[in-house]
Amino acid sequence: MPNHIVIALLTVYTMLFAVSAQAASKLPETIKVDRAALTSEPMCDPKISPAWREAQEIEGVKIEASPGCSPDNPAWIAAAVKGTNHISMDTLMKTGLSPDAIIKTDDLDGDGDPDRIIIKLEIMELNGKSPDFPGIIPTFDIAPGIQPGAWVFAPKTSGMSTENFESVRANPLLRLPSPVIRVEVGDIVQIVLENTHYFPHSIHLHGVDHPFSHGEHGGQDGVPQTSEVELMPGGRRVYQFQPRQPGTMFYHCHVQTHTHLTMGLAGMIVIEENKPNNWLQTLNIGAGHVRHPSVAVREQFTQEYDLHYHAMDKELSDMVQKYNDPRLIARDMNQRYDITDATEDYYTLNGLSFPYTLRESLIVVEPDQKIKLRMLNSGGEMIAVHTHGHHATITHYDGVEHNPMAQIMRDVFDMAPAQRLDLKLETINDGKHSYGEGDWLIHDHREKGITTNGMAEGGSMSSIVYKSYLGEHGMPKVSHFGIDLSEFFTKEYYERRYPIWQDLDEWASLGSPAGQMGLDPATQTSLLNALYGLLIGLVIYFIFAKREGIKQSITATVSRLKSPKGSNE
Amino acid sequence: MAKTTLTFLLAGMLVVNGHAMAQEQDKQKDAHDHHDHSGHAATQNEHDHSGHDMDKHDHSGHSMSQQSGSAVDHAAEHGAAADHGHDHSIDHSQHDTQATEHGDLHHHHHMDHDHIMDHEGTMIMGQNLDKLPSSCKSISEEVEITVRAGRKYAAKFPGTAFAFDQQQWHVKPCAKVTWHFINEDDIRHQFMMHGLPKYLYKYGMFHLEVTGPKTVSGTIIVPGSDDTFLVHCDISHHMEKGMKAQLVVGKGGDDIPSIPGVTSYNINDTYQAENLPKASDKAEPNAVMRQITTFTNNNFRNYGMMAIGVLIGLICIPILRAIAFGRKGN
Ligand SMILES: [Cu+2]
Ligand SMILES: [Cu+2]
Repeated sequence: MPNHIVIALLTVYTMLFAVSAQAASKLPETIKVDRAALTSEPMCDPKISPAWREAQEIEGVKIEASPGCSPDNPAWIAAAVKGTNHISMDTLMKTGLSPDAIIKTDDLDGDGDPDRIIIKLEIMELNGKSPDFPGIIPTFDIAPGIQPGAWVFAPKTSGMSTENFESVRANPLLRLPSPVIRVEVGDIVQIVLENTHYFPHSIHLHGVDHPFSHGEHGGQDGVPQTSEVELMPGGRRVYQFQPRQPGTMFYHCHVQTHTHLTMGLAGMIVIEENKPNNWLQTLNIGAGHVRHPSVAVREQFTQEYDLHYHAMDKELSDMVQKYNDPRLIARDMNQRYDITDATEDYYTLNGLSFPYTLRESLIVVEPDQKIKLRMLNSGGEMIAVHTHGHHATITHYDGVEHNPMAQIMRDVFDMAPAQRLDLKLETINDGKHSYGEGDWLIHDHREKGITTNGMAEGGSMSSIVYKSYLGEHGMPKVSHFGIDLSEFFTKEYYERRYPIWQDLDEWASLGSPAGQMGLDPATQTSLLNALYGLLIGLVIYFIFAKREGIKQSITATVSRLKSPKGSNE
Repeated sequence: MAKTTLTFLLAGMLVVNGHAMAQEQDKQKDAHDHHDHSGHAATQNEHDHSGHDMDKHDHSGHSMSQQSGSAVDHAAEHGAAADHGHDHSIDHSQHDTQATEHGDLHHHHHMDHDHIMDHEGTMIMGQNLDKLPSSCKSISEEVEITVRAGRKYAAKFPGTAFAFDQQQWHVKPCAKVTWHFINEDDIRHQFMMHGLPKYLYKYGMFHLEVTGPKTVSGTIIVPGSDDTFLVHCDISHHMEKGMKAQLVVGKGGDDIPSIPGVTSYNINDTYQAENLPKASDKAEPNAVMRQITTFTNNNFRNYGMMAIGVLIGLICIPILRAIAFGRKGN
């Protein structure tokens, strides 16, 4: 009788082993993510009119061509050059600017350009929490699906903060980075800060020749510990200066700088040389290509670009998305956030990360050009920008010209936090200045600089693109190499849900493995356990059912064992 | 004896478990607080500032980002504007003449029937002085309402940053209402009303905007049925941080959420008591004494819980005994 049980047990075990042996001999299939399952964005935003790319003249302002995908709104440039007080209502309405955003008056030195410049800046929150719906408002994407909470200095706008009443997307004037400001040596400049934000802020003019204190406006170094109290919400403060030196400089909020700067309250400010008829593009909204360069730059260079490198911490950005109550945001930022334990997560060039940098921050060149690049690092760490295929000359450090005899050429440009470099990029195909035409990467060579929250390819990388490598929508033309950039224009890519190498070969050798076929290990174990239980139960049942027989046989055995012993006695 | 010990253990476990459960709930709350922002496609559609049913508004003209195809002849309209008597609406006298203005008197007066703007960005949009809504036979009442806007009005609503002086206004159906919007801050604020009938109000909107300290006025005629309209400032996070109100016409319609002091927020923050320094802490004689008291305080809490456990145990003994004896009896 017990023999049957033993046989049954053996059979079951054999079957079980067969099952697990089969599972081990064949690995799971590869599952290929269907491209149709991805949220694909057009590589070049179709909302932008191609006419914006052309060279044109608005309000008498000559605007250079800008063949990239998303050039600046030409009306913005006209308004920035003439001032919002000198353009038609029609042009003004195309900008969205407040009529008093940029006021230009008084040619004080009689050289044909205005010398009193008033620039009004507001402070806007992007991607902040709403108490009304589970989402954020107004939204600004630095990369597909990447919407970090941020604060920016924005040119004074008119009307709504969103595109329209149905949209949660930010008005195009409300964006990262804070705009590049351009004024001339000798201008009497007033930067008027209207604090529309719910926290106190200030402006510090790093590197700009400004008096520590102004007779009418009081202390104006922007530092709450030395020159002035914090500018509260709803308040206005004037920063007035008449710069004596040109150069690429930096402005930022100096209230709780360790958080406010990272949040985006940082921008480039360029003091241009004083030249006759020097109508400057006072604001370069979104930085990048300068489509109306100053007289001095036009004299020496073919083109000019503003390249603002920045870094943001997700932990900090999340705070304005976690709470709506300003007291809680203040508590977390001021008392709980520890920057010494913090890490940077988002690396941006002109407010955006790859692939959006391809839309706005391509440096589009032709052979034998001389291009001025103004670079600022407003991140918290040193960066090392590498120009593929080119060595450029450093002409200025922190706005001050380097001795022309001692200027050096490099292909990696290290910039400490707050540092500015002016570069002269020459596209001379001599194997040193340039290796020839191409779509040459320009990127931070700290490898995390090419990631977005740790996911490559992202970060601040962009390209120096020769016109022969520029496609029809102003994106780099690389498809003839078999390159497809469309996967980067999906939020799933940055959600880390897309196996990035699945399309490198036909059978997706490096695609995503499916889950275990049939049973996964956990289910297998629990099934086995259940089976053991069943077997134990059976054994117990048999013991119970045949207890009389067993008892008898045991007694028999015992007596049999005993009897010889007994007989021995 | 063994039974008693067991009961104590059980009681103790209950207490511990209860504590663990409470913690778990806190954690869940925290987790819930971290909203997932990945599904934005969905929220964009769901987004509705007011809770009102809004059908598609046409914002093609209002959206300022795009080049509008129709170039309006503004020179001609400037002329028209002059005899329109709109200047009474924008009170220039109240503006403080700061050194920021340099006497450039180049005035932009944009006139597009329902869009008036001056050189400082003071704006009146969607004004209606005389067009009667189809649901009205005549104007029921003529009222003037003064609305003040500023940071200081947020003081009575903790956790807000900006506010209007009042959070709701009541008017009769078919009332002609003239709003005097006084911005008392040194920045821009808006008085923006949504959901008005679009055959009278472009985009269904009435909008006053002014950089303070300054006043702007505008008039509307409200529809003839009971309804509630959202009033807010659309500058980034002004509405979210308190600058929100409602206009109740007649008996009103559905309330609008998250109006300070009037309606509750749809999504609430979680608050915890903070370990803030207190003056009474300083009154403690010395640090050692404080340490001892903290120690005893903590221990008292633990011992207290244990005592409760003992009590529960003692109460349970007779019950358990009864059960045990009952079984035996059977
Ligand atoms: Cu700040
Ligand atoms: Cu406001």
